[in-house]
Amino acid sequence: MKQIQPPKLGKKLLNLLITEELYDEFEGDLAELFQDRLENSGKSRARLHYYKDVLLSARNADLRRKLKFYNPLVMYKNYLKIAMRNLLKYKGYSFINISGLALGMAACLLILLFVNNELEFDGFHQKKSNIYRLDEVQRFGGVSEQKVALSMYPMGPNMLADYPEVVNFTRYWTAGKSLVEYNNKRVYMKNLVRVDSSFLQMFDFKLIDGSRDNAFQNNRDILISETLSKSIFGQEDPLGKVVKTDDGDLLKVTGIFEDVPENSHLQFDALISTALWDSEQRQNRWGSNYLNTYLQLAPNADPAALEAKFDDFIVKYMSEESLEAYTLFLQPLTDIHLGSMDITHDYNNHQKFARSSVNIFLILAFFVLLIASINFMNLSTARAATRSREVGVRKSIGAFKGQITGQFMVESILLTFFALVIAMGLCAMALKPLNQIIDRELSFNLFFEPIHLLMILAVTMVIGVLSGIYPALVMSGFNPVLALKGSILNTRASIFRSSLVVFQYAIAIAIIIGTFVATDQLKYMQNLDLGFEKDNVIAIGMFRDTNDKYDLLRSELNNLPNVSAVTATTQRLGNNLHQTGMQYRADTALINGSSSFVAVDNNFFDFYEMEILQGRALSDEYAADNAGLSFVVNETLAKELAASGGEVVGMPFNFGGSDTLGTVVGIVKDFNYNKLSLKVEPLFMSKQAWGWSEINVKVKGGGVQQSITEIEGVWTELFPNRPFEYQFLEEHIDQMYRSEQQLTKVISILSVLAIIIASLGLFGLASFTVRQRIKEMGIRKVLGASMQQIVFILSRKFTFLVFIAFAIAAPVTWYFMNDWLASYAFSIQMGVGIFLIVGVGSWLIALLTVSFQSIRVAKSNPVQTLRVE
Amino acid sequence: MKGTHLGEFEELVLLAVAALADNAYAVSVKEEIEEKAHRKVNISAIHSSLYRLEDKGFLESSVGGATNKRGGKSKRFFKVTAYGYKSLKEAQNLRQSFWNIIPQLSTQE
Repeated sequence: MKQIQPPKLGKKLLNLLITEELYDEFEGDLAELFQDRLENSGKSRARLHYYKDVLLSARNADLRRKLKFYNPLVMYKNYLKIAMRNLLKYKGYSFINISGLALGMAACLLILLFVNNELEFDGFHQKKSNIYRLDEVQRFGGVSEQKVALSMYPMGPNMLADYPEVVNFTRYWTAGKSLVEYNNKRVYMKNLVRVDSSFLQMFDFKLIDGSRDNAFQNNRDILISETLSKSIFGQEDPLGKVVKTDDGDLLKVTGIFEDVPENSHLQFDALISTALWDSEQRQNRWGSNYLNTYLQLAPNADPAALEAKFDDFIVKYMSEESLEAYTLFLQPLTDIHLGSMDITHDYNNHQKFARSSVNIFLILAFFVLLIASINFMNLSTARAATRSREVGVRKSIGAFKGQITGQFMVESILLTFFALVIAMGLCAMALKPLNQIIDRELSFNLFFEPIHLLMILAVTMVIGVLSGIYPALVMSGFNPVLALKGSILNTRASIFRSSLVVFQYAIAIAIIIGTFVATDQLKYMQNLDLGFEKDNVIAIGMFRDTNDKYDLLRSELNNLPNVSAVTATTQRLGNNLHQTGMQYRADTALINGSSSFVAVDNNFFDFYEMEILQGRALSDEYAADNAGLSFVVNETLAKELAASGGEVVGMPFNFGGSDTLGTVVGIVKDFNYNKLSLKVEPLFMSKQAWGWSEINVKVKGGGVQQSITEIEGVWTELFPNRPFEYQFLEEHIDQMYRSEQQLTKVISILSVLAIIIASLGLFGLASFTVRQRIKEMGIRKVLGASMQQIVFILSRKFTFLVFIAFAIAAPVTWYFMNDWLASYAFSIQMGVGIFLIVGVGSWLIALLTVSFQSIRVAKSNPVQTLRVE
Repeated sequence: MKGTHLGEFEELVLLAVAALADNAYAVSVKEEIEEKAHRKVNISAIHSSLYRLEDKGFLESSVGGATNKRGGKSKRFFKVTAYGYKSLKEAQNLRQSFWNIIPQLSTQE
């Protein structure tokens, strides 16, 4: 019978613990004891005891162990010393090597900082994963289907009442700029927002003073920001103070909140309860969308399941037909900042950004880092030749292959960390200018959060290992005899290096072409004829009291020598315009539809130099025009009206469910009131006696500042209580493209970095190639080659490399950029020109880089170069 | 006396080896001590003492006597060297010299 053996694991452990020489005896003794115990006390106890014996044998771990004469510490010190000496000996290459990598790393770090900021937007709300914004998909008549970030006043409360999974809601209803008065001091609240009392329960905006729970106990309680409080009350304690609005309402300050952080999509400086505007009529006003609603769902609620019930909700409170016009959906709070690019009427979305742009940044960061890493790898490998003797000596003294590999790996890792330190420094310097360009408040501190620091260190380590492994393996593979003779010429490695250069250049060329196309497209959009004249137009906000004196204001302004025209409107051009229902009679049928609408003063069309295609513009001369019964439609709407039959000019028309129909009096050529990435939508205009939300003043070019001072004079004289504030229409229109502008600016910087880093790599590589061929060139010179010929011979290879890189990069870039351009309604055609310019440009840069080296060789004295041994 | 000093446990091990004559290896030494001193000793302690004593020159050893029970591994038999005997003697004499001057105590129960 085979006897039971002691546990294998125990044996193995013992083998690890005890030196080989003694192991047999020890194991035998332990086995004997095991067998004894097996007999006396059973298997499990014996096994247990065996383990105990093994573990206690740890005390004998050093028994009879031979001293090994291997002290790696000394070698490590030597590695470090040699690494430092090499760094200092070849200062130029070290500089290129490290600075290239540091540049790439710095760019990458900054982008990561930015991307992190974008991904963490609105991240400071504890309940962020349960909060959703209620959005709508609207489909009205001719207007194509659109997602809007709007909802109706009664939606929130009824959803809370109807659905148990909705645990809280708040509306967010901007009241815009409002004037408040305290102790005869008038200050604008830039962004007063009406919210429900649950607002501060759902969102974690920090309160400095006042109670979070009882913030909106009374209808006339108001919470203001720290900054606003300072500008109204100065050093006084604001709590309990009463301010007067321009409507004569008295509001009591019951809380102060910290200024809303930049990374919040909601931006406000004063909060007031919706209760002040609440009425039974409003509570039942379905169908008008003018605010945002945020819902807080129960932690385990399924938003998709809730969305499925919304159709019934619409039927219940509105009608079956409303389903055709509305679909409701929920947008997670964390998705609002990056996921709202396709949502229009999104008025409360500070710094709204495209997720696709974030992805582009990430990809670019990766590639820049890749280029830099390849550089590093390439230069290290190229440098291997200069260190072949060192490797030879080490090997003949007895270094193992693994030790040489280890040495060079350690060196490369060290250099990478060195580069990281420099990169951090570069980041710190570049952060401020970058913040200005992208209009963010990125903070360097983020790097020092343990988890980020750990990740950065880990990535640096990986870069060090990856870029070090190839040169290390190449060098450790040297034949010591050849290495000592210094005649290492590895053609295979040179092909590898060349393909790396091609790869680098291909990436750089692709990035640069992309940047050129994107910048061109943006420039094109900004300079495109919008269909109206936007230059030298100043927009000034209007209020109830200023509207009362509109006529006076207009004539006073018209009297100013530098003002050429004044008009007024209810909405500023340069963004989405509000929509409304419309009715028109084609043949005999009354047709309902929907279209964008803006109320304008009669001279609006002259003011903006819009082209009237048919009929006439509005005019003060017609009574119907002044009564709001004449309408001017744009081409797009005209097409829709014409489609239902009949002549458009003269067609009976009105809006908003009015009983008496007016008439369409003219058709205006389509103008781009919205972003050029969007198509022009149906639009009609008429004069309505609602009061304007702003006047537009056109000033004569030259002395714009002077005219603003004059306009301010008129304004202050008429409305001494109203601080004068204005904006240039052009600025406002530019703001629409801010996201794209930021994107192209950052990409431009990155593309410059990419080409610099790639060129650094090429420069380093060229210098090594040239050095290797220095004798050959000497002989050529002796035999009578001219300087030009030599430069040509040396540059030929690199020209070839850049050409291949271009051939790879161009089609790929063309494909992707075409895709991107297709997303714009108005886009440029990509010409061969851009490709040629970039191609030739990068070739010239490469040539220039290489020529630094080749010209030096070409000019050198062959006697000296040939003497090099 | 530096270097020849015997610890209490070392002395025990040395005595056991001497007592076991030709059959002194780790397991038998352990059993001998456990039986005579009525105390539990772990094998690892025996091992370290045996090999240290050998290093110090009190013991010498030879290999042999593999059994099936030991999984075919051989034993290391230990023998006390002359130097070892001398040290044991010295230790005993030292004790005896103290006993000689201790005032007689009653050894009655």
